Amino acid sequence: MADAGRHPNIELLTLSEVQRVDGYVGNFKVTVLKKARYVDEKECTACADCLEVCPVVKPDEFNLGLSTRKAIYQEFPQAVPAAFVLNMEDCLGNEPIACGKCLEACEKRCIDYDDQDKEIELEVGTIIVATGMEVYDPTELDEFGYTQYENVITSLEFERLINSGGPTEGHLIRLTDRKQPKTVAFIQCVGSRCEKRGNPYCSNICCMNTIKDTLLIKDHWPEVQCKVFYMDIRAFGKGFEDLYKRSMAAGVQYIRGIPGDIYEDPKTKNLILTAEDTTTSELKKHEVDMVILSIGVVPPGDMDNTQQQLTLQRSADGFFLEAHPKLKPVDAATQGIFFAGCAEGPKDIKDSVTQAGAAAARANRLMRSGEVTVEAITSMVDPELCTSCGICARVCPYNAIYVDTKKKTPAVVVEAACAGCGTCSAECPFGAITMRHFTDEQIMAQIEAILAENAQDKIVAFACNWCSYPGADLAGTSRLQYPPNARLIRTMCSGRVDERFILKAFKLGAPIVLVSGCHFTDCHYINAVTWTQKRIEKLWDKLESLGIRPERLQLDWVSAAEGQKWARVMREVEQLREAVTAKEIEHTKRVITEDMLKKRTKKVKAKAEAVA
Amino acid sequence: MAEEAKFKCLRCGHGFTAPYTPKVAEERACPKCDSNSVRRLKEKKDS
Amino acid sequence: MANKSSPEEIRIGVFVCQCGLNIAGTVECEDVAKFAEELPNVVYSDFQKYTCSEPGQQTIKDAIAEHNLNRVVVASCTPKMHEPTFRAAVQEAGLNPYLMEMANLREHCSWVHINEPKKATQKAMDLVAMAAARAKLLEPQMETKVPVIQKTMVIGGGVAGIQAALDLADAGYHIYLVEKQPSIGGIMAQIDKTYPTMDCSI
Repeated sequence: MADAGRHPNIELLTLSEVQRVDGYVGNFKVTVLKKARYVDEKECTACADCLEVCPVVKPDEFNLGLSTRKAIYQEFPQAVPAAFVLNMEDCLGNEPIACGKCLEACEKRCIDYDDQDKEIELEVGTIIVATGMEVYDPTELDEFGYTQYENVITSLEFERLINSGGPTEGHLIRLTDRKQPKTVAFIQCVGSRCEKRGNPYCSNICCMNTIKDTLLIKDHWPEVQCKVFYMDIRAFGKGFEDLYKRSMAAGVQYIRGIPGDIYEDPKTKNLILTAEDTTTSELKKHEVDMVILSIGVVPPGDMDNTQQQLTLQRSADGFFLEAHPKLKPVDAATQGIFFAGCAEGPKDIKDSVTQAGAAAARANRLMRSGEVTVEAITSMVDPELCTSCGICARVCPYNAIYVDTKKKTPAVVVEAACAGCGTCSAECPFGAITMRHFTDEQIMAQIEAILAENAQDKIVAFACNWCSYPGADLAGTSRLQYPPNARLIRTMCSGRVDERFILKAFKLGAPIVLVSGCHFTDCHYINAVTWTQKRIEKLWDKLESLGIRPERLQLDWVSAAEGQKWARVMREVEQLREAVTAKEIEHTKRVITEDMLKKRTKKVKAKAEAVA
Repeated sequence: MAEEAKFKCLRCGHGFTAPYTPKVAEERACPKCDSNSVRRLKEKKDS
Repeated sequence: MANKSSPEEIRIGVFVCQCGLNIAGTVECEDVAKFAEELPNVVYSDFQKYTCSEPGQQTIKDAIAEHNLNRVVVASCTPKMHEPTFRAAVQEAGLNPYLMEMANLREHCSWVHINEPKKATQKAMDLVAMAAARAKLLEPQMETKVPVIQKTMVIGGGVAGIQAALDLADAGYHIYLVEKQPSIGGIMAQIDKTYPTMDCSI
């Protein structure tokens, strides 16, 4: 920690949050909001003179409310930077009869009530997301009495209790009588491995954390009895099994079974746990002085912001999704962004450090040569066909297209800013925009190939490169079985799927067309996916007006983590396909051909009139 | 302003009402089958 | 359309991968390769045990030279896995990497239709036909190189963020370490001793 604080190449931006990220690999532009500290970070020596005079007393968040702090304070003694911070919401300094005591006490004059939040612009080549985790709040699991009984605490609160820098200076006490407990119970998997409440996944660290805690207790206070109630003990890492054995040898009792409920003896404030030992099927009551809930790990509350700013994807557990579980475990799907630590999933310190090293190596690999290759998939405008209507500029999520609709100059694509979603190409009413490597002709050729023979048996499916296509891949790696009738066409974004592709498929006899893309929050191209939805909604209306059942055009958002959903969608659309009759298909072919003809004659007429 | 609108799932046929804000793109899923093929029915089109 | 290529003869080579038994266990790869021979513009088609292996890639390079191929279809696994591999292979043989197209016979076919080998083989043929139809229309693309700013932003100053920042800072890069709290340290700083070595967290 201190190394990071004094490293000449590391610029610490504390009290800071990312506001906005633009740009692309190698060239990200970031806006960071640095909140006011009200204390000069460089000048403050953490002498604590201010602290002595501050009259405000507030619960100390760092110690989880187990102790108090002043309005001006230091989070913990080893804080980096070592400077104090003034919490303006707690401070009396702004009141009419201003307090101002700290200001007077500070000899170095480093307190400034008028300090302001600052916006800082950064330019970086790579970004490492190490946004970490939060602990599970056990309030909803009320059978454990966390909100009712003071002697039921969480494992993180316990960490603060036995920390020599903590509220009790490391003395093990229970909260009701501040006496050392005789018997301590740990309850495992609180908020983890439960489908109904809390989270279905294993939080990875809690078993070993409890084993460590029992050893700390036994080392310092051998007379304290420890009972651990568990489902399974997962001690899979290097050296972990040894610790588990040491803990058992030290006399810690491991009981396989989670207590059904806990109640308090009102006199002694002891806690009575009823639990079945599932190894012997015995139901037993246990009286203990203190209960520690071994709480799980959850994604941080502000993860949505980070996700949207960086257009990242998340797996079902809520943590960030890596580009590939084995081959690119620390890369995000977006080039130039990497994960370290719990941002990607619960892990312990060793794994976090290992992953951080890997992320650093990946970032180094990208930056070392000084240049990076960007993909060639961008759009280009044919100025001959462009009518300067401005639709492309309006739908572009990156503002990468410039059109002067008044002067009627043709649209211009700023290639460095174009990310290649293809929404402009799909929305252009005049076919004036070509998407490199995903041209209309190439996609039409794929549709024709699918429907060349036995069209009635086939489903034409479109899947985006970032979510739905890898979602279908995941169904494959998970060996989920589904009907073999769909034929997949990959586009970079579902926004590329032109209504002409869909109508063409119907015209060639497709019974069902499926369009799939990212969930709105996952869209790799900011909001291109919303244009997909709008387009499909319009098409449903159009199909209906032509006498075609709108049900034959299906839409689904499938993330890269939703292999199960992909397989389910495949089964469902196959059922829909079976219900489409040959007569219906013939009717569709006819009306779409007629409609296309009508449009063409209209266009020719309009052109002739314009010429005249 | 959020108003109520009628929706129909084009996968399972389930009909339902849900809050709807014009001009705001929102991800929708059928409460019955979880499909995203959810179509807003515009029988009472205002304005 | 801009940049329409000169009317050279399109010569497609198709390489069907068995992926050991991963694809061949369900899909009749030999039949798929034979089917591909009949597709428009396909002048070469064969199957390999592992197309991604060194000898597999060599087969592609040799065929490009021998049959004067200017488009390549590799029918194997997901492009998420080996698109870079095969792009590099055709590039080494002198083709623009964007003239290579993949058909996903593994994740999207053999692994998900294990009990329907006939239909899976039929689907595999369609996937190859689609890829060949697309390959015929592929155009060379130029990848541009852009300069990289040699700075990193690390979001989050917990144990992982600090470690990543230190590693990159030691390697000489300028690091912005962004932390929302007044101090770095994260949850790690709140923990007393840490397993497995039972030493201090800070």
